[in-house]
Amino acid sequence: MTRSWSLVAGLSLVLFLMGLFLKNGALLALALPYLLFTLVSFWRPRPETRWRLEGNVEPGQIQGDQPGQGTLFLTNEGKALEDVSMTDEIPPGLKVEGNPHQHGGFGAGQTQTLSYKVTGVRGRYEFPGLRVRVSDLLGLYGKEEFLPWPRTLTVLPKGERVKKIKISPRRTRVYTGVIRSRESGPGVEFFGTRAYVPGDPLRHLNWKAGARWDLLITNLFEQERAADVGIILDARKRTEVRANGESLFERSVRAALSLADYFLDEGNRVGLLIYGRFLEWTFPGYGKRQSAKILAALTQAEPGDHPVFQEFKRLPTRLFPPQSQLVFVSPLLQEDVHPLRYLRAMGYRVLVLSPDPIAFEKRLLPEDEITAVAERMLRFERQAILARLLRAGVRMVEWDPSEPLRVSLERSFKGTKR
Amino acid sequence: MILWVKRVSAVANGTLLLTLLFFQGHPKVALLAAALNLGWAINERMPSSLGKFLPSTGLVVNTGLSAYGILAGAPAGYAVLVAVVSLVSWNTSLFLERWPDAPRAVQYLYLRRLGGLVALGMGAGLSALALQGSYSLPFPLALSAVVISGLLWLRLISGAIEKER
Repeated sequence: MTRSWSLVAGLSLVLFLMGLFLKNGALLALALPYLLFTLVSFWRPRPETRWRLEGNVEPGQIQGDQPGQGTLFLTNEGKALEDVSMTDEIPPGLKVEGNPHQHGGFGAGQTQTLSYKVTGVRGRYEFPGLRVRVSDLLGLYGKEEFLPWPRTLTVLPKGERVKKIKISPRRTRVYTGVIRSRESGPGVEFFGTRAYVPGDPLRHLNWKAGARWDLLITNLFEQERAADVGIILDARKRTEVRANGESLFERSVRAALSLADYFLDEGNRVGLLIYGRFLEWTFPGYGKRQSAKILAALTQAEPGDHPVFQEFKRLPTRLFPPQSQLVFVSPLLQEDVHPLRYLRAMGYRVLVLSPDPIAFEKRLLPEDEITAVAERMLRFERQAILARLLRAGVRMVEWDPSEPLRVSLERSFKGTKR
Repeated sequence: MILWVKRVSAVANGTLLLTLLFFQGHPKVALLAAALNLGWAINERMPSSLGKFLPSTGLVVNTGLSAYGILAGAPAGYAVLVAVVSLVSWNTSLFLERWPDAPRAVQYLYLRRLGGLVALGMGAGLSALALQGSYSLPFPLALSAVVISGLLWLRLISGAIEKER
């Protein structure tokens, strides 16, 4: 029975009791229409429901703004029903286009289809099932059922194709790649000269130098090898800026994905550390499989707080091979300067891609004098941080999240050889 | 169509209660009741929290005022009419809330069912009053009321049996 039925039943009972108590026949007569509304739902046969449910959300994994198509087929295997309302329960956070809800009569053996498109921000979404409500036309009888039909939709972060990020770790791996290794060997970039040794290819002879020194001199070339790249994504809650439904952390995730894909495409060995709630470590690896692992890790990444991981000084350096390349994706805090300088001193090459939190937040604030003053003060503070890091030999890429990452990277690496 | 049934019945309710209570010497309560019912007539245009709350409140208030009218000495048949029209407004409001874009065929089916129930309720209330001697109906009117009620009952019963098969 529904709440409406309870209301009418309650009113009829009150009127009936009042009539009896006051010995007033007119009140008893007044109770009769209410009593009829109460009893009519007992009179009509109760619909017995039997359902068959099919369907899915396809594809199970979507990327960025690509939509997923949800389709559910509900078949009535029982008797015909007059008033059926069904709703596919959409997990919060997804935007729905189309109708995950349907209302209407439902004939015996008939199949109804719910079809809709969903888009959402990065994450994993669990669809629990279908809620079906059967009632009579008068709304006095109602039965609600939940038909479990679990489905999963994973919205993957969407990276950006970037190019020409020049890194030069002190130590490279033995495999051929595109990172200049500071060692002579087969390569294309000129590295130096030495005296000719029998067996050297004649086409590498440096005739000009030989004429000057009256010796046979051979050109040396720099070997290009694969390197170890550790990407560290700053997932500390205190660095997150969230306004108007936009999140700076989301931008950082996409940037980390773009960088990981770039370095993997170049043949490097890439690992990922998400530093925030705890240490979410994706062991270094090569190729497409590693790209998928990193994508999966970034899909689940959430900003979080942990007293131990408030600052970068707890960064477990043993995860990264000595003298390898570290890439931080972080908006940076004042207290991050010291740990980064320390890493640099340990022999790591450090590149910091810093999404600019001031530019990100400013777009969402009114353009007035107070905002301008606040921005100036924060800019001074940030410039001081960046200057200290630059002095320590940390390579900085400052990224305004309103512009494509590619543009900021191109601007930062323009004209650099190493 | 059902929207207009609800609006007309709510306005009718307001008018009926206004006259019922006005002549009983409660003009302020009559005006309040009329205002409530006029608000109910356009509850779908109100903010959803208020709009959803109004039909149930309206039904309770109208029922209470009908009972009060009887106790205050108003004609009992008039009070039964108010109660029945309130039930129509209330049930149509529920239907519209549940299924605002129902197809025309469903709307007709619903109105037939509601109409049958309302006619039965009204007939039962008035018959009870007549049995108590509140009314002295002329014979042709009493006969036609009995025949119409009987037919409606038969139709309802046969409909239920058909559905069961």
